[in-house]
Amino acid sequence: MGQILSGYYIYMLSILLIFIALATILHMQFGLTGIANFGLSGIWGFGMYSCALIILKLNIPFVLAVILATVLTGIISLPIGRIILDLDNQAVLVGTLAFLAIIETLVISEKWLTNGVLGYGPVNYPFNFGTYTKFVYFLIILIFTIVLMFYARKLESSPPGRLLLSIQDNEPLSQSLGKPTFRQKLVFFTFTSALAGFFGAIAAPVYNFVFPKYMGPDITFTLWIALILGARKRIFGGLVGVLATVGLFNVVLETVVPIPSQYAGILYNAKYFLYGLTLILVLMFRPSGILGDKKRSKNIKNIGKFEKMEG
Amino acid sequence: MQEKKLHLKNVMKSFGGRKVVDIKDLTLGTHGIEGLIGPNGAGKTTLINLITHKLKMDCGQILYYANGNEIDLSKKPIDEIARSGMVRTNQIIQDFQSLSIRDSLLLSLATPMYENFYNIFSEKKLRKAAEQEIEKYLDYFRFENSDGHALSTGEKKLLDIIRCLLLKPKVLLMDEPTTGLPQDQTDLVIALMRKKIVEEGMTILIVEHDLDLIWGVSENVYFMAEGEILIQGPPDEVRKNKTVVKKYMGEGDA
Repeated sequence: MGQILSGYYIYMLSILLIFIALATILHMQFGLTGIANFGLSGIWGFGMYSCALIILKLNIPFVLAVILATVLTGIISLPIGRIILDLDNQAVLVGTLAFLAIIETLVISEKWLTNGVLGYGPVNYPFNFGTYTKFVYFLIILIFTIVLMFYARKLESSPPGRLLLSIQDNEPLSQSLGKPTFRQKLVFFTFTSALAGFFGAIAAPVYNFVFPKYMGPDITFTLWIALILGARKRIFGGLVGVLATVGLFNVVLETVVPIPSQYAGILYNAKYFLYGLTLILVLMFRPSGILGDKKRSKNIKNIGKFEKMEG
Repeated sequence: MQEKKLHLKNVMKSFGGRKVVDIKDLTLGTHGIEGLIGPNGAGKTTLINLITHKLKMDCGQILYYANGNEIDLSKKPIDEIARSGMVRTNQIIQDFQSLSIRDSLLLSLATPMYENFYNIFSEKKLRKAAEQEIEKYLDYFRFENSDGHALSTGEKKLLDIIRCLLLKPKVLLMDEPTTGLPQDQTDLVIALMRKKIVEEGMTILIVEHDLDLIWGVSENVYFMAEGEILIQGPPDEVRKNKTVVKKYMGEGDA
């Protein structure tokens, strides 16, 4: 038992949770607000590297480092948001992707700071419970992921979430009703990016050594495939999507299914092929994702009835 | 007569060399309901877009008088203009496709205080505060299923009007409000407008092609053609004016 709790499984599950959190953040940015953020993994990686650097270069304790990394990610997201959020969706996509490329290139080229492609570390767990260390840390990530999903759920059926939906549907109309739409988008983008930075920071000890490839474009694409697959407008879209892609192909296929060693090399490439195939099949038969479209009105109807009964 | 609400000075707008709006000096909002008529392409909708700053004017000044303050609308963003009490309804149907009728109205009523991102638990409070007012409108216009989405043209058009009224505007610019509405709903809208003018001191500017409606409701009518206000005055006078007859209504109608 102890072996399982400290070993590869728990590592994979922790990563899986972080991906679920990231996909949920993507749901909030794209599914709710319509910001086509293709730089999410860059923002996440920024948080991760900031946390690692703050701990190792400045000798600052872990908890404080996580907070600092979160704030730093928020601070750099603000000017990015200021530049891209006025643009249309394609431009947002290109802009955020360019940001991702810049961050990744900087991390690779600035070897004096980040050690380049060789990776930077080690970032150790902030506590030591022997064989249970990884498991306890996994539980902490689980709690944060649940809190994030709870927030996303509450947000959707609350006044600020309604405003975000209205911005996605028809921004000029929302603006003509007196809503400061740009400000709302900018604040939300900064806030959710800071959250991505936070999950990057707490991912650092799980990886121990952080590498530039962790923040590469393929991570962003994986998250996008997962969200579209799961259903971009549903809270659990990210969760279902990540389980159906990363969970199924990276975790189950790589660890559980016995594959002869001579084919193991093919598996890495076959994974992306399978992602794509799954995506095509889902989009063909369920265009709005596995969970389908949001039935918002039904949900609200029940709340209305409940309140009428009270009154 | 009441105090003027809007003053346009030398307002000009052209698209690709063609002058669409060219107004030297115009005072709007001196009566409760005013009508703005004119042939297609006269620049009526463009004028409204300029007032609400949806379009930038080439030159000129639009001054808006609210609570004794003079506000230069050409320097304010769209949302601030709306918050200051200058609200418009849309000619072409505008809707939020993922919001139900009730949601759409709640959106309109929610003040910025409710819309902070940490305010995720304020939904119940908002519904409680808004319920009475929203219910009033929904009953008045007899919406069948207010928890569903607005489906028909008429419903969307009404929704657009109600959303604006919930903002409690001081000046309401209505761009062809009754197009696509059945007669009974049009009557309801007109009756409501009249009530709002008396009770809340609202000023309304209606752009319409339904001339019977204009002659019936407006206290003052502006006739616009080729970007300029050519005639203005009480409906009976404008109606008989030779220019209006010739350029817009056709000789047969006179």
